[in-house]
Amino acid sequence: MPKEIIVIDDEKIVCNMCQRVLEAEGYQVEAFTDSVLALARIKEKRFDVVVTDLKMEKVSGMDILREVNERYPDTKVIMLTAYATLDAAIEAIREKIFDFFPKPVKIEDLKNSIKKALEGSSE
Amino acid sequence: MLTIRQRTIIAAVSQAVLICIICAFVYISFRTIVSKLRAIEIIDDLNISVLEMRKTEKNYFLYKDVSAINDLISLGKEELRNIQAEKEYISQDLGKKTYLDLEAKINQYVEMANLIKQHPHITLDFEVQFRNLGRDLTQLFELLLKQERRNVNHIIMLGVLTLICSLGFLLLFQLVLWRYFSRLIIQELAAMEPLITKVSEGRFHEVAVAPITPHNEIGIASKAIADMARELEKREGELLQSEKLASLGVLIAGVVHELGNPLNNISLMAQTYLSLYDMLGDEEKKTFMTDILNQSERIRKIMHSLLDFSRQKKQELEEIDPGELVEASIGLVINHMKLADVELHKTIAPDLPKILVDAPQIEQVLINLYVNAIQAMEKGGDLYVEVGRSPEGDGVVITVRDTGSGIPKDILPNIFDPFFSTKGTKGTGLGLSVSYGIIRQHDGEITVESQEGQGTTFTIKLPSHGKEEGEGDAQRNHRD
Repeated sequence: MPKEIIVIDDEKIVCNMCQRVLEAEGYQVEAFTDSVLALARIKEKRFDVVVTDLKMEKVSGMDILREVNERYPDTKVIMLTAYATLDAAIEAIREKIFDFFPKPVKIEDLKNSIKKALEGSSE
Repeated sequence: MLTIRQRTIIAAVSQAVLICIICAFVYISFRTIVSKLRAIEIIDDLNISVLEMRKTEKNYFLYKDVSAINDLISLGKEELRNIQAEKEYISQDLGKKTYLDLEAKINQYVEMANLIKQHPHITLDFEVQFRNLGRDLTQLFELLLKQERRNVNHIIMLGVLTLICSLGFLLLFQLVLWRYFSRLIIQELAAMEPLITKVSEGRFHEVAVAPITPHNEIGIASKAIADMARELEKREGELLQSEKLASLGVLIAGVVHELGNPLNNISLMAQTYLSLYDMLGDEEKKTFMTDILNQSERIRKIMHSLLDFSRQKKQELEEIDPGELVEASIGLVINHMKLADVELHKTIAPDLPKILVDAPQIEQVLINLYVNAIQAMEKGGDLYVEVGRSPEGDGVVITVRDTGSGIPKDILPNIFDPFFSTKGTKGTGLGLSVSYGIIRQHDGEITVESQEGQGTTFTIKLPSHGKEEGEGDAQRNHRD
């Protein structure tokens, strides 16, 4: 069964590109530019990996992270952000993020990180 | 033109001269009175002597006493000596002729007395002559005395009267001078008042270039104020620049982040393009490249707005019809409006006065407002653009009103701040602050009213061409 990934970023291009690349890798990808809708979707469906931006309107990457950790402890969260500050990283690590990439992200690194994230899960 | 100092000196000098004249007059009167009094004394003395002489004369003719005639002669000689001693005074006071006359008569009297002594049996005729002479002398002296007494009184009275009049005149003169000077100074100070008021209102440029008259102390003070205004204008410019520099840190953070997005997108798209190259069709490949170009265009726009903000652009003013300007600006966004489902309601009043503006800059402001309005009306709406004469009659008013989501009251005062944006990470927040700066540089006003859920209205006031000071003019709030 193909692994399901959700990509959340308020830039449409980021969602598009990530979706295309990851679908080409054989994953099933849902992409959201509206973090509110993304959160709602997460509440109704479990994903294997969550790829999200940090700074978004209304619902931030940290909110997504906390929600996922609470509901689906097995699901790994990878954060991409333009605000790669130490404080943000520390906070994310405390909340048990899987990986953290400053933008612009190298797609290869993202793909590798996702692979590693999925290796860890038993399914 | 005379300076105040020169006028004061002239006034003081003329007063001093007047006083000197009065003093001189008083002194002369005094001297005259004193000398007259002296003369009166002398004549009085002489008169007494003459009366003595006549008594002795009477005695002799009554008793034919030899000693009497001797007395008479010696008295007469003494009289002569006395009068000769006071020759100067008497000549000065009563005139030389009078003196000579007196001297002659006394001489004659003495000679006749001598004759009588030598020839005791004189004729009656001679006696009569002699006695007549004595009487003449007496009368003469009495007359002189009366005359002189009367003269002195006259002089004193005249002196007192003239003195009172002079002092009165002097007082009047003083009052006139006081009035003149106080009016002069108040007038001159009042002339300075508009300059000072303008400085306090922050209209430094107007004061710096105002022509300076008059060429006196007030002119000097006015010039000092103009110089001060020039300095303030310069400092104001520097302050604006330093405000901009101070915000630079914030700006850089904002712009870097802003630039990060398109750059990130380009990177992602390029990586994806390379990664999926074999799978992409020709059209898809073209789409990728086009998207990349769009992102680089985005970068260019951000950099342009940043440059606009940091540069103090020199204005190129031209006289233009405000209606035409607004029409042109609308033309640039009409498509954008249609796409966004925004209906335009345009009202341009007839017979609008011309305005002197940098047209592209004002267009920039208007477009900024239109775009903000369109963005506020996500699900479409109405945009009202109105141009009319200002109610005070000294300029034009342009209003841009939307029926969008409105601006919350607590952030309304801040919307013209640089880098303030309600668009989250999407805008640089420079648009409205640059617009504010542009309108201010045109001596205009831009204000905003908003009601959440109902819409927002921006009002721009611009002065009409030809007026230097309009009533509805900008308060120079030095914000940018």
